[in-house]
Amino acid sequence: MPIELSRRLFLQSAAAAAATLPLLSTRVSAAGDTVIDIVSDGDTNITDWWTNTLAPMFEKANPGLKLNVVITRANGGNDTVAQRVVAAFQTKSDPKVDFFEEFDPRRVPGSAESGAFETIDATKIPNLSLVNPAGLETKFIVPYRASQVLLAYNSDKVAAADVPKTWADLVAWIKKNPGQFIYCRPDKGGSGGNFVVRAVHEANGRDPSLFTADNYSDDLAKKLLTPGWSVLKDLQPSLYDNGAYPAGNNPTLQLFADGAVSMISAWSDMALQGISLGTLPASTKLTQLQDLPFAGGFAWSAIPTQAAHKDAAFKLANFMLSPEVQARMIADFGAFPAVKWDSLSADLAAKYKSVASTSMPSFPGGKWSAALNDGWYSNVATQVTRS
Amino acid sequence: MDVTVGTVVSSGGRARAARRRATTFGLALVAPAFCLMVLLVLLPMLRSLLGTIFPEGSAGPTTSGYSKFFADPRSVQNLVYTIEVTGTTLAILLGIGLVLSLYLRFSQSRFTGAIQIIALFPLFVPGIIISFALIRFIGPTGNVATFLRLIGITQYQTPYLHPSGAMLGLIWENIPLTVMLLSAGLAQVSNSSIEAARDVGSGWARILVRIILPQLTRSIIVVVGLNFLGVFGSFTVPYILGPAAPQMMSIFMQNTFSELQEAGTSEVQAAVTFFVCLIAGLIYTIAVFRDAAGSGTAR
Repeated sequence: MPIELSRRLFLQSAAAAAATLPLLSTRVSAAGDTVIDIVSDGDTNITDWWTNTLAPMFEKANPGLKLNVVITRANGGNDTVAQRVVAAFQTKSDPKVDFFEEFDPRRVPGSAESGAFETIDATKIPNLSLVNPAGLETKFIVPYRASQVLLAYNSDKVAAADVPKTWADLVAWIKKNPGQFIYCRPDKGGSGGNFVVRAVHEANGRDPSLFTADNYSDDLAKKLLTPGWSVLKDLQPSLYDNGAYPAGNNPTLQLFADGAVSMISAWSDMALQGISLGTLPASTKLTQLQDLPFAGGFAWSAIPTQAAHKDAAFKLANFMLSPEVQARMIADFGAFPAVKWDSLSADLAAKYKSVASTSMPSFPGGKWSAALNDGWYSNVATQVTRS
Repeated sequence: MDVTVGTVVSSGGRARAARRRATTFGLALVAPAFCLMVLLVLLPMLRSLLGTIFPEGSAGPTTSGYSKFFADPRSVQNLVYTIEVTGTTLAILLGIGLVLSLYLRFSQSRFTGAIQIIALFPLFVPGIIISFALIRFIGPTGNVATFLRLIGITQYQTPYLHPSGAMLGLIWENIPLTVMLLSAGLAQVSNSSIEAARDVGSGWARILVRIILPQLTRSIIVVVGLNFLGVFGSFTVPYILGPAAPQMMSIFMQNTFSELQEAGTSEVQAAVTFFVCLIAGLIYTIAVFRDAAGSGTAR
């Protein structure tokens, strides 16, 4: 009898354990669903949207496919994961990642040329034909959203007549109101990076076409970037706390929201979302420079060649570029579409006319942005030259 | 200890065999951990260090990486800044830690429990949370500024995004370890020796300098050594709370490695950092071993 009892108990607990196991493991899901493993190191507005909005939308439209969004923000983010993907490629093994929400293979040396990332074309992702050609910098990336940097200002403190319309206006305003403007460190947040880019553009006749994805050389960088440093150095004494640059987009928005400064450079999507959520004061207004807008950028997805669920990942990439999802991103977190505006509804294009400037200059990634960021630290922040 | 007893009671040959067996057994016990350390830490480190002297594509050994590092004002500035931040943080930390642990050891007050909990609390808070909390607290419009404004002080200069901001965060983060180590040291100071000193008429200052501090030297060296390594290599707190430039070596290395993708240069930076930490490590090891040898706990 005691033996009988313990055996029954054993069977019961084994059954209970078997029943709870699927609940504990995220990779196991009902009836052989394919799980697409996604890594994202985007800010919370992006990762929240992927987890709470996109995943249910995609899973409803594609029965049998599930999304597993893994947030990799800390410790090097997607760069670190990509290094593992390159290593897995060399040993011909499964990288355990199917989709990079945002990653540019140029960020990890050797990953683009090695073949660790899939070459993308419209046969694999049909909606790629709708994409704004400016976003297709290399053949390993799928641009899926864009955002542009603009000025956010507190309309209680900045009179309508004083709102800068050109770079010269902005410089004049900053100098007239010392301590009231700040941008973040260029490598820690694009809102600061593209402010630096705009200064470099200003110093080079406002001609973004001077900087292309394949014309980088050390000499050219020195020639084109150096005049930009003097523009920024000249501003430094008039910035918040004599040039106390915050370590990212969010800390900059925080200084602005707390009222420590009255004007900042900010990403369009983060500013629009901040206003709608109330994390930025109601008096926050946005404006774009008219002589040459601040640069913007695309968020690029990438797919590892050895991904276990590559076809599903293509499906996801295609879904991301569908007009329906593109419109949803605009409405939900103020992203700019990666597809051309004319592939979206005319109403939508009209509604966002005030912030969506006619042109979106861009600054190439890879070596250009590395030189820009490092040059800024050497010349503007430290004011010593790196030999 | 056991071995010495053994030699007394048993004949020489058997004792030697027993001692050899004990030694072999001990070595076998530490072997896995030691191998792991050699494989995963020492070998890669050695490879990295050799890589800085024999860079890829060079014919023979060269110190060009190092001379480039020390010729570059930004690298030197970052190194000096890191040493300065570490030194200042350690000095303040030691001061605060000593006061706190002395209070906890000798106070009869009812509040010691509460103070101990508060002192150990940072142990359970990750650096990134400390950083963002401190922005809210010491920032330009944070709690401190608001409070000072309430009592009429408006000239508050926020340490946020200044070296002092980074130091403040690092001090807060490292108080628990400091207090724990110093408290452990203070626990060994016997009440009777203090009472004896008091009986012959010593004041508090004299007791502290002549009785307590000499017995605390080892703990202080341990605290300084461990905190030096921790603060020197810290990343998150100085990255969020400190200035854009100069940078701590850890941030500088990370930038050079992942932004500029100059693996060789960042390896040299790492090697320089390693040598500075090695000095601290050596002082720590020598002090601990000499002290241990003196008191007979190690052979």
